[in-house]
Amino acid sequence: MTKILFTGLVAGAVMASAAFAKDHPGREYMEKNGYKGPETCEVCHPGKAKEFLSTVHWTHASKVDNVENTDPAREYGMKNRIYTMCNGNDIVNNLKEIPKTPDAKGTKFSGCNTCHPGNHLSDVGSAGPEAEAAIDCLVCHSREYDHSKRKPFKDDQGRVVLGQDRSVKAALAIAKPTVKNCMTCHEAAGGGVLVKRGFAFTKENDVHAAKGMVCVDCHKAKNHKIPTGFDPNNWAHDGVRVACADCHTETPHKDAEYNRHTARIACQTCHVTRTGGSFAKDFTTWEKLSNGYYEPTTLRKDANETVPVYAWYDKTVANRPDFIGPKGSRSDKASRIYPFKVFQGKGFFDRKTGELLAMDFAPPMSNGDTLAGVASAAKILGIKQYDPVPGWQTVLFGSNHLVTKKNALTCNNCHAPNGVLRFKDLGYSDDEVKRLTSPELYLQKMAEKQREEW
Amino acid sequence: MRKAIAASAAVIMLSIGAIAGAAEVKMVGTVQKIEMQGGAATVTLKDTKSGNEVKVTVKDDLTLDKFKDKRIVDGDEVRVKYDDGDGVVTIFRKTAGC
Repeated sequence: MTKILFTGLVAGAVMASAAFAKDHPGREYMEKNGYKGPETCEVCHPGKAKEFLSTVHWTHASKVDNVENTDPAREYGMKNRIYTMCNGNDIVNNLKEIPKTPDAKGTKFSGCNTCHPGNHLSDVGSAGPEAEAAIDCLVCHSREYDHSKRKPFKDDQGRVVLGQDRSVKAALAIAKPTVKNCMTCHEAAGGGVLVKRGFAFTKENDVHAAKGMVCVDCHKAKNHKIPTGFDPNNWAHDGVRVACADCHTETPHKDAEYNRHTARIACQTCHVTRTGGSFAKDFTTWEKLSNGYYEPTTLRKDANETVPVYAWYDKTVANRPDFIGPKGSRSDKASRIYPFKVFQGKGFFDRKTGELLAMDFAPPMSNGDTLAGVASAAKILGIKQYDPVPGWQTVLFGSNHLVTKKNALTCNNCHAPNGVLRFKDLGYSDDEVKRLTSPELYLQKMAEKQREEW
Repeated sequence: MRKAIAASAAVIMLSIGAIAGAAEVKMVGTVQKIEMQGGAATVTLKDTKSGNEVKVTVKDDLTLDKFKDKRIVDGDEVRVKYDDGDGVVTIFRKTAGC
């Protein structure tokens, strides 16, 4: 019954996707009046622009209640956070023109808020009629968006403006957001394609993509609030969450033994067996690119090329200068074992406070001088005294995509001496480890399956 | 009959040789020209190390879509993996980040 229900949900999502790809109402209106940004959308969708300004996609921050060493009264997000995957934020790395070096080819604009769906004059967290008019609805909603128009430039007052495609052609191709609409920003986060999250939502890499599903089939938005999971390094949220069990239930398997595991083992542990993207990055030493500008030294792998680590996670987060990642334990019944992508980043820390120091990327991007980047960020933030020393931080990212059914872990992948789970590290005694890694647990069951298959 | 067998064997040997000879090339280069041709694109790149021009063929839909909507344009620096036998790319990504 569960399977029938789930298949129905998937089929419905895919059909809805296809149906939406057809003509969006309003063609005649837009052909006659042109497309003028949100004011055109508001003719049929009143109040949506104002509504969008309160979402994380616009504010880049929210209050968080599951992260240690944070102030419950403050908002956190890419607006103001720093960690060693992104050593800057929207404040210190506000979109700007990078000082040109003699051998630089062309001008370069850079900033964390390059992905903000405004025009930069109305920036992260701005409000009011001007901000509402600046929203780039089509970058998320059009299937024919011309990205050459979404380039930063300086206006006649010398202000940096982020362009938008407000053509009728783009407006007429409006639809439910596709994978491309989401991944245009989300695949490029953290300094390059597939660097940060390291997953490709393609039919080759994810069972949901193979079924024709798109991001918003799971991250189903309501009033522009988009549900997110509990990635320990993704703090800002719209107050709505998404989980595998929303569609699959807590007992999705035909096999009762597998279903018994779901109480302490997250779905992702067996069904997200690989990770990808950057696994180490050095913000203290930047490499020169062929265009004459510099980028942090980054070690990277493709999607599905690295393996996760496994840890107990109760959906609360350890947040220290040396580590950002899951909290939880075997004894805590709210904890389950999850897979995480391991990332280690090097940055400058303040010798006195031990805290990671932010970096304005403009100086090092221009000439490789990373300490000048720290000095610039300190000036922007009003920090007068600091003593920078290089150091490393480990970040464990949630591993929630690259979902596989075919290659899901089975009994021996965990319950063998060379299995992926390090039971000792997960809090099991020597005797328990011996029992948990014995074929006695699964031999009969796997032998039966083997006979069926062969 | 013998001739036919010998000819077939030669063709097989040559094919195996061609397959064995093809190698994956990794390169960072700058996009010089993108020419769309139906379900593929021929991209001329300038190798940043050698300065040589290299032509590769892009066939995957995701990258072709990035050419169509101009997420990747002339002048962009890209990280590419391709087969030096047929020039078809397996990875074609911009190097720059945010």
